[in-house]
Amino acid sequence: MFYSIWLQIRVIAALTLRETRMTFGTSHSGYFWAVFQPIFSVSFLMTLFYLIGRQSPFGTSLALFFATAVLTLEFYNKLSVSLMRAFTTNKSLLSYPMIKEPDTLFARLSLIACTFIVINVIFYSGLLVVGLGQLPAHPERLIYAFLTTCLLGFGVGSINAILYQKNQAWQHIEKIFARPLFFLSGVFYIPSTMPPEAIAVLKWNPLLHVVEWTREGFYSNYRSDVLNIAYPLGLGATLVIIAMFAERITRKQRV
Amino acid sequence: MIAFENVTKIYNVKGVKKVILDDASYRFADRKNVALMGHNGAGKSTMMRMVAGIELPTSGRVRRTEKVSWPMGFARGFNGLMTGVENVRFVSRVYGCHTDSVLEQVQEFAELGKSLALPIQTYSSGMKARLAFGLSLAISFECYLIDEITAVGDRRFKKKSEQALKDKIKNARVVMISHSEKTIKDYCDCGVFAYGSKLYHYDDVNELLKDYRKFC
Repeated sequence: MFYSIWLQIRVIAALTLRETRMTFGTSHSGYFWAVFQPIFSVSFLMTLFYLIGRQSPFGTSLALFFATAVLTLEFYNKLSVSLMRAFTTNKSLLSYPMIKEPDTLFARLSLIACTFIVINVIFYSGLLVVGLGQLPAHPERLIYAFLTTCLLGFGVGSINAILYQKNQAWQHIEKIFARPLFFLSGVFYIPSTMPPEAIAVLKWNPLLHVVEWTREGFYSNYRSDVLNIAYPLGLGATLVIIAMFAERITRKQRV
Repeated sequence: MIAFENVTKIYNVKGVKKVILDDASYRFADRKNVALMGHNGAGKSTMMRMVAGIELPTSGRVRRTEKVSWPMGFARGFNGLMTGVENVRFVSRVYGCHTDSVLEQVQEFAELGKSLALPIQTYSSGMKARLAFGLSLAISFECYLIDEITAVGDRRFKKKSEQALKDKIKNARVVMISHSEKTIKDYCDCGVFAYGSKLYHYDDVNELLKDYRKFC
């Protein structure tokens, strides 16, 4: 028992190092781009909105309000998309009997989560430095929200991986579902101020809850009427359980 | 211990069904060098891949409590974009070996010199085979799987690798596929004959070879 846990950890650690190498390339600039590419793209978006003179829906900093939603979405998207290809790109690894397919998922999860921890820290401290940010009022809520995003992204990403390997067309269908998330996750607005008909629809988006959770973590006076932490947590856990069962059941067809 | 328990393996490719094993149970004798024989297409290599854990049975299970190598000379597990060094490091990490000492042994054995720092995709197939061979020797498996190949490389390297493998299996055992009677006699203590989706055990290699001549 103890040995098999140790083996699992060893395998995932080795895979994570390998993933790091594969994602970032050999050069140090690879690490730089992996971290700064999302930072630059979010900053660019924010600059655009500043230029057209948009006011922040909450607080004084439009950048901070944006970041709470956009960084969460970026993290989720990165997980759900790159886990999707974990099985197909790592096929050769199954030559090593101790590597099971879920390990490749765990390895990608840990690499992406670590990258996004760095991204978040750099981004929010950057905002603080240029006077557009603030220290989080409830840092622990940020951590919970981050972990819940992990759970959701991992669950959806793993299911994506299984479906993608069954049929490669899944990558296009997945996009149809993923696209509207940007508009449904409260990037531009405060969900609680939306009309009740809109809230009735929006509240089914688990990412909206995570975004709201993040905002409650940052602002001391942000009160969300929509946030129900049981929903994203429960949904995330359910998806992960379904994914792990489905992986086990379909493993023989895949190898 | 390596054992097949009620293993059925069926390939279904484009509507053609091929039964490799049909509810076969077989325990590879512990610490013995086992020959695996059968006619072409009987599924010997498939069985070997199941022993290695590369392929799963359709039903039943393969139990494996010893550290089993991949089939010798088999270089599919390498990542072409990563360098030789990185691949070696990765594999030895996965097997829980000391990475530096494995790397040192591979460097010395495979004689790839500076190429080891280049991506595997730039290697010739001979170089890849040498790397894979050297790596499987350096990892110290308890059971080596040999699918016809007991040596790789050019004439000189073949001699060297054959000798290295012979030295290695003094402290390990082999499961071996071969059509050469001499090789089987050289390496194996007992054997198993794959015939008609079933497995038949032979304590004596000579008996196995006799049946092999009769049926194949």
